[in-house]
This record gives sequence, structure tokens and C-alpha cells, in this order.
Amino acid sequence: MGNSITSLNVSELAREKGPKKLAVLAPEDEEFMLAVKKSWELGYIEPVLIGNAEKMEQLAEKIGFDIAGFERIVENDRQAIADLGIGMLFSGQLPVVSKGQIPTSFIYRSIIRAEAKAGSGMTVSVASLWEVPGLDHLVAFTDSGVSIYPDYKTKVEILKNAVFLCRVLGYEKPRIAVLSGQRSFGGTLPSYRDYRQLRKAAAAGEFGECEIIGATSFTDIFMGSRGRLRDDGRIDIRKMPHIILVPRLDTGNIICKLDFFLDVKRCSLLVTTRGPVIIPARSDFSESIVEQVAVGAVVADRMEGGEVK
Amino acid sequence: MISTFQGIMDAARDGGARKRIAVPSVKRGDLNLLSRAVKGGLAVPVIVGDGRAMEALVKKSPLTSLEHEILDVGESGGALPEAIRLVREGRADILMQGGLDQKAFLGAVLDAKTGLRKGRLASYASVFQLLKSDKLILATDTFVNNFPGAAEKQLILENVIGLAGLLGMGSLKIAALAAIEQVNPSISSTLDAAVLSKMSERKQFGNAVVEGPLDMDCALSTVAASRKGLKSEVTGNVDIYLVPDIETGYLLVQALVFIGRMKTAGVLLGTVRPVILNIPFVSGENRLVEIALASLMCGKGGGNNG
Repeated sequence: MGNSITSLNVSELAREKGPKKLAVLAPEDEEFMLAVKKSWELGYIEPVLIGNAEKMEQLAEKIGFDIAGFERIVENDRQAIADLGIGMLFSGQLPVVSKGQIPTSFIYRSIIRAEAKAGSGMTVSVASLWEVPGLDHLVAFTDSGVSIYPDYKTKVEILKNAVFLCRVLGYEKPRIAVLSGQRSFGGTLPSYRDYRQLRKAAAAGEFGECEIIGATSFTDIFMGSRGRLRDDGRIDIRKMPHIILVPRLDTGNIICKLDFFLDVKRCSLLVTTRGPVIIPARSDFSESIVEQVAVGAVVADRMEGGEVK
Repeated sequence: MISTFQGIMDAARDGGARKRIAVPSVKRGDLNLLSRAVKGGLAVPVIVGDGRAMEALVKKSPLTSLEHEILDVGESGGALPEAIRLVREGRADILMQGGLDQKAFLGAVLDAKTGLRKGRLASYASVFQLLKSDKLILATDTFVNNFPGAAEKQLILENVIGLAGLLGMGSLKIAALAAIEQVNPSISSTLDAAVLSKMSERKQFGNAVVEGPLDMDCALSTVAASRKGLKSEVTGNVDIYLVPDIETGYLLVQALVFIGRMKTAGVLLGTVRPVILNIPFVSGENRLVEIALASLMCGKGGGNNG
């Protein structure tokens, strides 16, 4: 296994391991096309462009990007675009896929079908990686994209996916917080019951080398069960775990997108059995997308190498 | 319009009569806070509990030389009902949690018959001061209701709109948050948000504009919203964030505090008089802001200590 990845800036690694062949699903937005151009120029990727011919050509021309030499697949139907790209990933034609300007639900559907066809038994889930200043590892919020109200069994699978991703990132024994809206009153929430059960399962070794910590909120994580926030606001950010398992989609998605507001960077991706699919938000800007592409290329390289079991 | 925590403190101080704040079974850690509230001209504590024990505690604190009252109810554990009675009967203006267990405290406060609930629903609002500009934002319900439906969320909104009015926030822009900005019948938060948004279109929240469903990127950024084809005066300029449920609200507030390093204060809404909870991620200094906020909510009147 390679060294552990501590930030979302993996440009050096991506350049060293690249270019990786990457399918872009509908690069039909200037920011996305610009990101593809930069990622190609930086040596991270060699794009396969799938989408509307006119839109792709117009955008490429607008930003001065010569796409004549790349494989292009003309397709207008959103689902067909996703199916084509994911199909190439699962047939081994390329190791990594990126979402472009299409709703993510089409991609989820393609991946769920592809995993079912491959008989992998995998539950598809999204991890949003955060880079937080002062922290020497990334934090994976999951599932921030697919399961709306995951039950216990689904959370087990989501956690397995996240632990696998942590291994890919080089975190040997990830610390995990299973979050819940549980307070001292208001009854016992199902998410709190899941926490207790998951913690037992982790202690029994169900997820391999990892630890579910005794915390269901950020207050627990940073202050334990006692004490009060200091007036100077000082906390030890190093207490942040590697994985944050959120109770439901609303919670995960709303919190992980605080990067629009806070001093953190985000990269959302979905690790299939055949390689990563990066899913930049349709509102992300090219600079951020380029970084996410680099992360995708590096994760793809580590999965291709079969270094992670 | 009040745009900072300091502004809340100033407004409370200028708000006339000092408020009487009933504190059942005060705990040592709260005595400094109460002393500061007295010194700051915000409130006069009425400590309810076992007289001798309370006296002994107060004696060891700066409060001993400051104005305060101790109401002896003996050792029987009657401090909470007595404190609630004081507030309900107008003999105190504000109720503070004090040293009591939160579950018991809230249970008693929210009791339909003997508690302090005003309307059909009590809710909790968190107040934040933005880091980069002088602006207050509110988030609700971040503590009380677990999984409110559209009907409850309507009441939660009415509660918070009242608070916003008190803070002088005009032409309110409210984001009804959800995981996605599209209405998806499988995600109930998007349906609730759409309903509330429609209600606001019909002026059911007065002049307040509720936009939803909004995901967080659209709520925070006008550019992000427009790239998703969403045009609204609310995006990028939200005053109030309505969260889908407690799992999101309780955790979102803490993410802003611990990762965003933002200051927060909060207050219970929908009660006949303000109630201050003891929440560990509100710093000592900001608990003073909570007292100020509660005083402000009492209005100019009240207070037998003018």
C-alpha cells in the first residue's frame, strides 16, 4: 500500500500515476469542460467524452480545447450517457469515471444495475471527503448521496464501503463516528439504536481494523460527554474521526456541502467494485473539479494495483 | 436591526426593566453566569430550591454580594414546579434550566397542562453571528422536535418568524433545506419544503419568503443556485434555515460551532415566557447572550425590578 493521503491536493501523485483514461458523463458546462482541459494538460487523465456533440464542441472551442484527438461518444439521453460510461468502467475499458452536467440519480441507477449484473452484492453509497485545516487526514462523510433513510443493514454496507475507501487512502485503522440527533430527551432515535448496534459489530470485528468511537455528535467528538465549549472556541480538531456515518441523506448532504461556507474542501466520490466514480456537484467550479479528478485518478491507480483488499 | 451578539446584549440592556430569571436548583457552574447577568444590568436571579443548600452555593460565588433572591422550597425536589409556577404567574419573566436534568426539565416545561407552552408547538432556534460580516442568521428547529411534518414545520416557522421580528430582521428570507433542490416524493423533506414554499407564495407567512426545497449549496451561493437553474431572492442571502429534522438540525448547528468555529446562542420558542436551556456547545459568554435574548423577548414590560 502507498503512503496515506492527507489532503485533497494530490496533484503530484496524479501526475506521477496518470494519465488515467476517464469517462466524462456530459461535459456540457463550461466549468466541467475547463476542468477536463486542465486535468488533461496536467497529465492526470485522458478523457473519453460522452454527451451532446454540439454542446461539447461549442464549449471546447470556446475555451480553446482541441478535443479532436479524444474518444468521443455522441449521446443525448441522460440515462444512456451514464450507462455508457459506467459500462466502460465495468468492462475494464477504463479505471475511472466523472460526472459532468447530469443529475447524479442517473449515475446511481447505472451503477446499481451494473453491480447487480456483476453479482457483487455491493450497496452503492457516496462518500464526501473533506479536507479540514489542521487535520492530518481526510474525513469521509457517508452516505451523502444514495440511501435516503438507510436502515441498520444498509448502514453496515455503507460503513464497509467507507472503510474500504479509507484503506485505499492509506488509513490503516480508521476511527468512525456514527452520528445521531439523539439528545437527553425526546426518546431513543432509531439512528441511536443503530449506533449502539454498529459499535458492537465493529468491536466484534465485522468491519476489520477500525474503531467506532463513543460519540454520536460533534459535541461528543470534541468535548466528550462533559464540559462546555470554551469562550475562545478552542477545540482540538485532531479529534475528528476518519469516517462520519450520517443518519440520513438530508443530514449528510446538508452538512457535507458546508464547504460553500466553511474553510474546508470537499470531493465526493463513489467507489464501485471496479473503480471510482467522482461526482462533483453541478455547482462546483473548475478548480475544485480538477482537484476531484486528481483524487479520482489516484484512487483508480490504487484500486487498479490491487493493493487494497 | 440587530446584527451581532453584542447588539443583542445592548438591546437587552436598553430594553427597560431588568427581568426576573427563575433558576431551579442552581448549579455551581451557573453562578458566575448569573453574576455577570446581574452586573450587566440584564436580570435578577430568583433561585428556587433547598434554601440552605442554595445559600451555601451562592455564598461561595460572586453573586453573594449582588442582587438576587432565594426562594426556599425545602429539600422535597419541588424546585422545578415552583419555578415554572413563578413564571406562569408572572412573578418571574424567564425560566432557566439550572442544575436540573434536561429530560425532566423539558418534560415539565412542555407539559400541555402544567407547563409553559403557549401554542400547539414549542420549538428551538439557534442564533449565529456570521464570521465575515455583521449579520445574524437563525436555524430551527435544532433541539426540540424530532421529525416534524409539514404542519409542525408551519408552526416552527411561525415561532421563528416571531423571534426574527424581535431582532428587527425585515423582509425575511427563509431556506427550507433538504438534500436536493428538486421535489422528490421519496424524500419527505423536499415535499414539506415545497408545501411551505407554496404557503409563503400565498402570503401565509406574511412578507417572509420561504424558498424550498433548497440544498445547502443553493442556499449558500447564488452562483451555485443559478448553475442549477434556480433563481430566487433567498439563495445566497438566507436569514433563516429551516432544517428537515432533528438529525440534521442538531448536527448542523454543531458542525457550524466545532468545524466552522461560529458562536451560537439559542432559545426555546412557543412558550408563554422565554426558557433558556443548558446546551454544552453554547459557550459561557454566549449563555449571557441567551439571557439577553430572553430578556429582549420579554419586551419592555415585565420585570418587577424596574
